Amino acid sequence: MNFLTPAYFLFFPAAAALYFLLPARLKNPWLLLCSWFFYLCAGPEYFVFLLFAIGVTYFAGLRLDKKPSRLPLVLAAGSLFLLLFIFKYLGFALSIVSRVLGALGLAIESPALSLILPAGISFYLFQSVGYVIDVYRGKRPAERSFVKYALFVSFFPSLLSGPIGRSDQLLPQFDAPRRFSWTGAKSGFIRFLWGAFQKLVVADRLGVVTAAVFAAPQDYSTAQLWAATIGFSLQIYCDFAAYSDMASGCAEIMGFSLIQNFRTPYFSRSIQEFWRRWHISLSSWFRDYLYIPLGGSRRGTARKYVNVLIVFGVSGLWHGAALSFIVWGLLNGAYQVIGGVTAPARKRARAALHLRDDGKLCILWQIAFTFLLATLAWVFFKAGSLSAALDVLSGMALPRAGTGLALFSGRRELAAALGGLLLVLARDLWSLKADPYRSLAQGNRALRWAVCLGLLMLTLICGIYGTGYDAQDFIYFNF
Amino acid sequence: MKKRVLKELLFSLLFVAAAVVLIGAASNALKPARHDYGAVWRDFLAEEPDSMDYLYLGSSYAYCDVSPAAIEESSGLSGYCMAGPEQTMGISYWYLRECLRTQSPRALLIEGTALHFKEFQDYTQVNLAYMPMGLNRVAAAFTVAEPGLRTGILFDLYFYHDRWREVSLTEVRDGLLPAQPSGLRGFTPVDGVAENMDKAPFVRDPQTEEVYENNLSWLRRIVDLCAEKGVTPVVIFHPTYSQLPDEWHSRMKQDVEAMDGALFFDLSRSAEDIGLDPMTDYFDAGHLNEGGAVQFSHWLGTFMRENIPSLAE
Repeated sequence: MNFLTPAYFLFFPAAAALYFLLPARLKNPWLLLCSWFFYLCAGPEYFVFLLFAIGVTYFAGLRLDKKPSRLPLVLAAGSLFLLLFIFKYLGFALSIVSRVLGALGLAIESPALSLILPAGISFYLFQSVGYVIDVYRGKRPAERSFVKYALFVSFFPSLLSGPIGRSDQLLPQFDAPRRFSWTGAKSGFIRFLWGAFQKLVVADRLGVVTAAVFAAPQDYSTAQLWAATIGFSLQIYCDFAAYSDMASGCAEIMGFSLIQNFRTPYFSRSIQEFWRRWHISLSSWFRDYLYIPLGGSRRGTARKYVNVLIVFGVSGLWHGAALSFIVWGLLNGAYQVIGGVTAPARKRARAALHLRDDGKLCILWQIAFTFLLATLAWVFFKAGSLSAALDVLSGMALPRAGTGLALFSGRRELAAALGGLLLVLARDLWSLKADPYRSLAQGNRALRWAVCLGLLMLTLICGIYGTGYDAQDFIYFNF
Repeated sequence: MKKRVLKELLFSLLFVAAAVVLIGAASNALKPARHDYGAVWRDFLAEEPDSMDYLYLGSSYAYCDVSPAAIEESSGLSGYCMAGPEQTMGISYWYLRECLRTQSPRALLIEGTALHFKEFQDYTQVNLAYMPMGLNRVAAAFTVAEPGLRTGILFDLYFYHDRWREVSLTEVRDGLLPAQPSGLRGFTPVDGVAENMDKAPFVRDPQTEEVYENNLSWLRRIVDLCAEKGVTPVVIFHPTYSQLPDEWHSRMKQDVEAMDGALFFDLSRSAEDIGLDPMTDYFDAGHLNEGGAVQFSHWLGTFMRENIPSLAE
């Protein structure tokens, strides 16, 4: 059951309404029941993995609370990561071993594995491992209530694709029943609606174009390849931010607050800043539980750069078991290393050109260049394999004419995509000054109605859905 | 506090109402206009209420063969052909319920070939998505539609929103303005003459016993509904050269006549008696062309007057 299915439109109002109507002691059990039902709808066979993650980390937390030692932490985190490795990476690892042995003249066939990948496993495993580390570090006491802890890991709005919750941020919200607020409900509704618009009108429309171009890059001209590559940058932002908005919107309607996952990342002036504003819940997880334990920037510049590359290599691997994802991650790490190494020279160049660091021209240039770098890296993310990525990049680099295929099926389609992107830009600019959803929720009713009804109708009329549309197709569902 | 809650609730309801109105308008504007080939609900609803002596239901065998205008010429009976493409007996039942909300006919004629249709034929979407939104359509979606089509049947934009790419302003205007009655009254005249009719008649494959029984159970519900509303139910087979085996006709006659108050007329082998020429009056083995339909309908008007007691006067 995904957010944009008729089943969810029946499920969520019932879940939220009963949450507020039930007595306080039944609220958490009810939400847990709803969350587990929600997960069972994704596939009953996955449920045992969720229960395993909850059970292992709940008891590890209790054990660590009683006597902090590394063993329970290593056992809990190790067993979960082993699980993740088996289901997500074993096939990839075997294929690498097979290739390496093949290169050494010891050709062996790697077995074809067809293991299921439990829905949302990368998200809830990271969330529960984060909790165990927090308890180990003494950052918070272990949660005694199994229901509350299980709800923390399984909370349905963020269960399948995040944001990855943190124990100090999300767990305390289950301590006391949330109170219904009209403003929160309106803000959550608008946030959800915006997410649906961003997903169905913008991301999926761009997705049709990028899927076609990346499937056969040789048929498209250089300009079209650039357009599709930029299109994918925007598509993945709109797709994932849409999911986060819908998740946060649902949580907000019920009085909960999830981590903000995106803060206008394409307005970043460097790749380092980009990663502080893109998929924030994952980036901050890697920062707190990998980068800092590796030594962060405390052990000298060279070690810091190595740490950055390690973190981004692992981040790439988290996104998918393929070399292209690792290259994508390492490229983002390399951008930051090169950015760090060249920072003094770039500063001198700006001074020589009499450009102020905070001048408009400089900011615009930095934003544009950062977007370009991110866009080039996304090619590896989207292409699916290194050779396919290189095909696209070579087509972008060497001017060529295509076979005359159009990117959009008509002028109205193009207008819808551009119009949608303009609205995304407007929302992002607005969010630099205030929370657009809260502002609308608290502001003038006529404007709120106009925005909501406008978004609703645009989504229902111009959205990519209906017969033949796969509602499961959020990009980050794959991770 | 209570006042604020009431105010917020009231505005929430108003918002929902505004959204429903806008969605309804968008659905009407984007749904392709339909004036022939069955499921012509907008045209039907434009007719004056309680203005019909009879209703005609069925599949393309009804809307291609029956011209209500020709029937009226020969008999003075006014009626409408609310057939739909490959309309199953189940769909006919929900059609009848919906028709009876605005019309009080004295007789209901159902072209009977649907007794040997599959549970789901190929045009459920068209048949149900054009019904007016209401309880009958919702019930039909859950009882006679393929599960995969339910979302679209309950929510027009699911099927038709994509048309925003091609729809013209004229179409939008026509969809939003009230429909006008159509002189065709559900009839679809088709041009062309069937080939290979020298090899006719052709045998049509009957359905399995189970499928037939299911169709019969829907027909029983139709007959019961007619009894409740004081309408004479009539199952009729048109003159056709795509014929079910004789034993099935006997079986269907027996089954229909066993239903309280139902009449059964089998004209499937009566083309020549009616004066239809297989070489000129048929579009294909099963459907009459326009000329054949008008001739048959003239004949049918008189036949209805003479053989259906509730239409005799």
